[in-house]
Amino acid sequence: MLNDKKATELFSKSIDSELTETESNQLDAHLSNSEATKAFAELAQTIDKSIVENSGISESSDGGTGLSEDAKNRLSDSIQKAIEKKPELAATLLDSNGSPSDQRFVLPNQQEIHTGDSREASSPYTIVRKLGEGGLGNVWLARDEKLNRNVAIKEMNSHALQSPKAWQRFEREAEITGQLEHPNVVSLYQYGTDRNTGEPFYAMRFVGKRTLADAITEYHDRCLAGKCDPLILHRLLTAFLGVCQAIAYAHSRGVIHRDLKPENVGLDNFGQVIVLDWGLAKVVDDSDLCSQLSGDVELSGEALAETLAGEIIGTPLFMSPEQAAGESVSLQADIYGLGAILFAILTGYAPHEPKNPQTAKPLKIKDVLTSIQNSESPRPRDFRSDIPIDLEAICMKAMARKKYARHETASELANDVERWMVDLGQRQSEYETMRMEGRELRTNTQASVRDLETNVRFMSNLPPIQELIRAESVEDSIAWRDRLITIFSGLLRAKSDYRSIVYSRLDQDEFTELVRVERHSTVHSNIRSIPRSRLRSGASSDFMHRVGKNDPDEVYTSLACGALNDAGDCEKKNVTLFAGVPVFDSQKEDLYGVVIIECDLDHILKEQLNRRFVATDILVACDTYQTIHHTNAHHGIVAESVGQLIQTTRPEFSEAIEQLQEKMEYLDKTNQQIYGARLWLNANPHGIMFLLSHK
Amino acid sequence: MPTEPSTPDLWVEQYGDFLFRYALKRLRDENAAEEVVQESFLNGIKYYSQYSGKGSQQAWLLGILKRKIIDFIRKRNKHKHDQSDEHDPSNQLFDQHGNYHNDASSWSSSPDRNLQSSELWAIVRGCLTHLPQSQADVFTLSVMEELDSDQICKELAITQSNYWMRMHRARLGLANCVGSQWNIKEEASTHAE
Repeated sequence: MLNDKKATELFSKSIDSELTETESNQLDAHLSNSEATKAFAELAQTIDKSIVENSGISESSDGGTGLSEDAKNRLSDSIQKAIEKKPELAATLLDSNGSPSDQRFVLPNQQEIHTGDSREASSPYTIVRKLGEGGLGNVWLARDEKLNRNVAIKEMNSHALQSPKAWQRFEREAEITGQLEHPNVVSLYQYGTDRNTGEPFYAMRFVGKRTLADAITEYHDRCLAGKCDPLILHRLLTAFLGVCQAIAYAHSRGVIHRDLKPENVGLDNFGQVIVLDWGLAKVVDDSDLCSQLSGDVELSGEALAETLAGEIIGTPLFMSPEQAAGESVSLQADIYGLGAILFAILTGYAPHEPKNPQTAKPLKIKDVLTSIQNSESPRPRDFRSDIPIDLEAICMKAMARKKYARHETASELANDVERWMVDLGQRQSEYETMRMEGRELRTNTQASVRDLETNVRFMSNLPPIQELIRAESVEDSIAWRDRLITIFSGLLRAKSDYRSIVYSRLDQDEFTELVRVERHSTVHSNIRSIPRSRLRSGASSDFMHRVGKNDPDEVYTSLACGALNDAGDCEKKNVTLFAGVPVFDSQKEDLYGVVIIECDLDHILKEQLNRRFVATDILVACDTYQTIHHTNAHHGIVAESVGQLIQTTRPEFSEAIEQLQEKMEYLDKTNQQIYGARLWLNANPHGIMFLLSHK
Repeated sequence: MPTEPSTPDLWVEQYGDFLFRYALKRLRDENAAEEVVQESFLNGIKYYSQYSGKGSQQAWLLGILKRKIIDFIRKRNKHKHDQSDEHDPSNQLFDQHGNYHNDASSWSSSPDRNLQSSELWAIVRGCLTHLPQSQADVFTLSVMEELDSDQICKELAITQSNYWMRMHRARLGLANCVGSQWNIKEEASTHAE
C-alpha cells in the first residue's frame, strides 16, 4: 500500500514520464482513497497547465515586467560596443544608413574562427581608388579603418575568377609574398575573403602608385629634352640594387619571381624600392614552403601566351629565352629579368621591344616569343650610344643567352653595378685630370707653334731680306747674306727646337736657296751656315707653293716631311713642323721668295710627354691619321710607326678622331675613357690631335 | 514584431522586452534575465553572419537565449544544488507514516473554477520564486522548456534520481505554496463578501 508521500512522488513522475503498470494501479487506488493526495494531484496539474500556458512565446506582457529603461540603456551600450568591435557589422550598419558602401571586409577563414588557440581577426578596408589593373587582378588603394593607414588591396578580376588556375596563382602569390620578409619585398598584411562576394583578396603595404617603369620613362623623357640628369640615373641604379637584393633574398628562400619588369617594382618618394607581384613566382627547393606551395601551376611559355593571347604585350618583353621557349626555369631566368630591367633603365626600352614602336608592326605574342628564342640578346648601345660600355657589359652579361654565362647570383650582379657606381666618382675625377692634361699638351704645343710663326714672320721682315733682293754686286750679296746668317744663327741658338731657317727665292715652280742656316743633325749645338755652293735648288714643294700663295706676313704652318711635302703625303718619314712666310719685293711688290723655319716637333713633344700622366695612353697625331708620338704609362714614349692609320691600330679612338675633324675637343662623357684635343695650324686645314685614354 | 530582420542596434527596442520576459520566467531573477539577454545579443552580434535571414530574427535570437538560459542554470546550480536539494517540503507535509498532516488538508481544496488564469499564473509565478533554485530550475527546464529528463540530467550534470527528486519536491512545494496562496486569496474574498 502506498502512503501519501509515496503517492505524490508517483504522481509527480506520472506527469513527466510513464509509470509501470503496477505503479499506475497503485496510484489510481491511492488517489481514490486519499482526498489530500487527490487534491494535490489536481492542484499540481493545474499549476503545470498554468505554467505551460504562460511560458509560451507571446508578445503580450502577460503580467511580467519588461526591461527597465536602465536595463535597456545598459544593453544598448553593450551592443554598441560589440558592434564597434566588429567593424564589418559597423560598416553594414553604415550601409543601411545610406553611407558609402564601397567597403571590403576581411573575415577570417572558416577554420580560423573556431580553432581553439587562434585569434579572430577582422579589419575593414575602405576602397579609395583603383591603382592598377593586371591580367590576374586589380589593385586598389584602400584605407585600413582600424589602423588608420593606407594599404593596397589586390583582388582577382572577373576574368580570373573564372579560372581555377588563376585562383591557385592568386593564393600562391599571397602565400609566397607572405613568406618573404625583406625590406624590398612588398609586405603582405592580410589575406582574406570579401564577406559580400566570398572572393579572395589580400592587403599589402601601399608604396605609392609610382613604379620603376614611371621613373625610367621620366628619366629618358628628360634626356630626350636635353636635360639628362646623371643624378636620376644614379637613383635608378640604386633602386635596381634594391631589386637585386630582394631577388637575391627570394632566391635564398628558393623562390623565383619569373616576372621581373620595371612595372613590378614600386617606388616611393623616399627611396624605398619594393618588388611587387609574385603571381608567377615559383618555388624551387624541397623545403616545407615548397611542399606547401607545390600545387604547381607553372605557366609554360605557351600557357602564358595563351593567357595573354590577343592582349597588348607586357611581360614577354622582359622574358628570358628559356622562358620564351617554355623550358624549365631556374634562378638564372631572374638574373636575365634583372638584366632586362637594367636594360630598360639604360635605354628606356624593354629588351624585346621594337626600337621604333610607332612604325613597327604590331607584334603577336607568339612572334615575340619566337624572336626571343632565336635572336641574340639586344645591345643597350644599339638603342642609346651614350651608355657606358662597362655598364653595358654588365647588362649584357646578365642578359646572356646562355644561362651559364650570366651572373651566378643576383648579388653578384648587384655588386658589379654597385662597383661601377662607386668607381664612377673616381673615374670622373681621373677623367677631369686627363682632360686637363690633354688641354695642357695642346696649349704648350700651340705656344711653340705660335712662337714659331712669330719668329718666321719676324725673320721675313729683316732688312737684309729686302737688301739681298736689291743687291747688285756679289759683294753686296755676300755682305747681306752674312748678316742674315748671323741673325738666323742667333735664332737657332736661342731656339733649340728649330732645325733650320732657310731663305729661298721662288721663280715659277723652281726654288733656289739664298741663305740656309741649320742645326747639325746629330750634334745639335752645332749651327752651321750652308755654303753657297751647297745650297739647294729645284722644283718647289707643295708647301712652298702654299706659302707663296699667302699675302705678306701671313704664315702658313704645316706638318710636313721629306722635301717639305705636306704630312698627308708622308709615308714612313718623320713628320716635321714647318712655318713659312712669303717675301715680297718691296719695290716691285711681287712675290720674291719664302722664309721657312723647320721646327723639331719631335723634340717639343718629347719634352712635354716626358712626365707622369693620369692618362695611360697618349697619342699625338696629325689629323691625316698618322701617329707622331705615342706614350703610355708602362713604356714611356714609344716610337710609333708613321703611316699607319690610327683607326686600324687603335679603333677605340675612331669616334674621337672623327669628331676632332670639326671640333677642338672630344669628350667621352659616357665612358670617360677617352679625351681628344685638336691644335689647328695656321691657314692649314690640317692640325695636330692629342688623343688620351684612360683605363 | 518586425518581419524584416533588423540590425543589432535596434535589437533592444525590438526584442529586448520579449526576450527578457522569457528569460525572467525561467530564471526568476531580473539580473540573471538581463544577463542572459545581454549575452544572447552579444552572441548574436558575434555570429551575425551566420544568420541566414530565412527565419525570424526573433526566433533566431530566442534560440540563442534558450541556450544561454541553460548555460546560466548550469553555472548557477553548480555550487548550489547541495544545499538546495536538502530542502524537502515533504518534511513539513507528511507525518512519520508518510501521510499528510491534518493541517495540510487546508491546501487540498482545488482552486475556484472561476479563478482567472492570469490570477493563478501570478500566484504560480510568485511561488516559483520561493522554490529552492535547484528545484525550480529543473522544474522550469522540464515544464517551460519541455526538455526531457535525459537532456536536463546531461545539461546540469545530475543523475536521474536527483532529477526526479528535484521535480517531485518542486511540484510538492509549488502545490503547497499555490494552495496556501489560494486559500488566503479565497478567505480574503469570503471576508469581502
